[in-house]
Amino acid sequence: MDELPLQKIAISGPTLASLIQRISSSSGDVDGLLLGHVTNNPSSNLSDDDPSPSSPSSSASTALIATITSFISSSSTSTFYDFTGRVDALSLRRLLPSSSLLLIGWFSARRKTPLRPSLREFSVTSSLSTKSQFSFPVQNSLTSINFSPRLFLLFTTPFSDQIIHTHEYRAYQFRVSSNSFEPKSIDIVNIGPAFRGHYGSFCPNSPFPALACEMRGSPMAEDKDEGSLNYTSRVAKDQRELDMCAEGFEIGSLSRLMGSEAANYTAGLEDLYEKMLAKLESLARLVEKSSAKVLEQESHNMKLRYKAAGLD
Amino acid sequence: MAADTVPPLIAAQLNYLLTHSPLSIKVDQMWSGGKNHNFLDRFTLLIPFCLDYIRWDVIYNAQYPLAAPDIIFGPDDENFHPFHVAGEGEGDAKSPKNSLSDWNNKDPSRLLSLIHELREHYMSYQRKRVGEVDDDRLKFEVSTIISREGIEMCMNSGVEKSEEVKFAVPLMDLDINKMVLGCPWRHQQKIHLQVIFPVGRKYLSVPPAPRLKLVSSSELKALFSIEDVKLPPWLDGMCMAGYLPNLEETLEEQVVEAVSFIDVRRRFIEALAPLFGRPVEADPIFCRKATFLAASGVFTFLVHFFLPTQFPKQQPALMLQSSQHFSTQGIPIKSSQMADYPWSPRWELSQMAERVFEFLADESLIFKKYCNESQLQQH
Repeated sequence: MDELPLQKIAISGPTLASLIQRISSSSGDVDGLLLGHVTNNPSSNLSDDDPSPSSPSSSASTALIATITSFISSSSTSTFYDFTGRVDALSLRRLLPSSSLLLIGWFSARRKTPLRPSLREFSVTSSLSTKSQFSFPVQNSLTSINFSPRLFLLFTTPFSDQIIHTHEYRAYQFRVSSNSFEPKSIDIVNIGPAFRGHYGSFCPNSPFPALACEMRGSPMAEDKDEGSLNYTSRVAKDQRELDMCAEGFEIGSLSRLMGSEAANYTAGLEDLYEKMLAKLESLARLVEKSSAKVLEQESHNMKLRYKAAGLD
Repeated sequence: MAADTVPPLIAAQLNYLLTHSPLSIKVDQMWSGGKNHNFLDRFTLLIPFCLDYIRWDVIYNAQYPLAAPDIIFGPDDENFHPFHVAGEGEGDAKSPKNSLSDWNNKDPSRLLSLIHELREHYMSYQRKRVGEVDDDRLKFEVSTIISREGIEMCMNSGVEKSEEVKFAVPLMDLDINKMVLGCPWRHQQKIHLQVIFPVGRKYLSVPPAPRLKLVSSSELKALFSIEDVKLPPWLDGMCMAGYLPNLEETLEEQVVEAVSFIDVRRRFIEALAPLFGRPVEADPIFCRKATFLAASGVFTFLVHFFLPTQFPKQQPALMLQSSQHFSTQGIPIKSSQMADYPWSPRWELSQMAERVFEFLADESLIFKKYCNESQLQQH
């Protein structure tokens, strides 16, 4: 695993906002996992002079930027590590939703404490950085560099009670060679004039579903199992998945957006949008109901915990 | 709003730590980490180390009562990683046990063992830092002194960001607590010598002398005042191994003498009894204070004797307190402390008592007048 330093850490505005909201709405300490990717963003060295032959070209090509795109947190702390700070790979695997999202680090939030890593946070980050089964390749890099999850984001609040809500945070990269935390600057990516530069490293969060796609060889070759039941059911399943993604946007109906029929097609489009909005609304209702259920379960758990602590 | 309570399991552990630790650990402040500020589950501990305190924040979670606490160390100790095992790979099923493994929150002694273990690690961490200092004189000093039992050392940053190394050297093998009959001290009293060496600048031919200071707890003042001790001078080219034996010898003599003075004070108080009657109040262990009830005609008053550690070389301070005159707040009127009446340390104790008695006989009349005048002024 390479020990290259990160140039900076980028996080999108909405992600940071929802992270802070998650932290401030919880009644206790929170921790969780950070997902995202690391890209190599070489800065262009445009100059009129000929570059001297002795200047190393590799220095321009290793400007690593880690981008945090989303996070996972459960309602309790220490879900993937124990009290000594050792990370349990199995519970970590269970928490990660799918293999497409990469684990790049973790975060911890604790109210009214100093803004520096604690004993356990150090052990957890160190243990996490040694978990090579979670390491991932750096995108857009000339050489293949593998990065294990080693980002740590710390959130605290100031010690004295404030009338204004204040959240302090700091991001660190853990350096295995020196066993230390190196603070890194955080870039908050918001849509605006400065957003252009990040467009290149932007990555969508809902990728195309993974469909088994085999390259057909020469059209002359006979596929032996083309007629078998397995094959046809697999093709039908893939087709269904594709249809679900493309619902409402069938090629046939899209072709009507152009040409002479376009003016008559607005009603069809409005219909499409209405259907989409209805879907969103029912989705939002579902989320609301399930959130209420989760909250109920959490307060029940909290009551039980208080009872165990002798606090009631 | 309900009063802030400490969750019982956390309170049990903290109380156990404060009452059972041989170190005098203090709690600086307690606060709540929850949103609703109801349970105090975080606190700052002041842990004595190297004649100073280290501040560590202990973070519990009131909502996870079975969870072990987390510790945040001081801002200068970023490289202090006590439980970290270097080179821990993927097959880390067997990492060494420490106080945090198998944590049981219901066991009140766990916090104490955790703090003590961390303090031991901190001591070795500081020792390692001192060992890395690039100064030949310091390396020599450390090598000669390191085998001394109970020594502590740490890195300090002095004025103008210069580095210093501080040593806390416990002096004398004496068990002072045992030497005092009926000693009330909870902790073992020890006198330490604080030695601070500046980290050497290579261009100086003669390394500068260290700063020396004697340190003891304030409880020892009842027996012996370290301010009275004159430290022998540090000569050029001296080292700690050569300086300490001389100092320890003189200090031991002075401590033994101070213990013998307890008896002298006791006998003086006993010598006062035939003249003043039995004391109303007296300190039986160190014999530093005694109070007697006296009367001059109908004027009844209390006499307070304050006996210094250097008695009889230094005379006692006397203070009179009226039992019949009170200030507007209801406090009895007292005289100032008098310590310049006729005195000679060469007198016999009984003679000292007589001379004090004579002095007070005259002084009480003056005091009575003073009390009467104060009362008149109030009306």
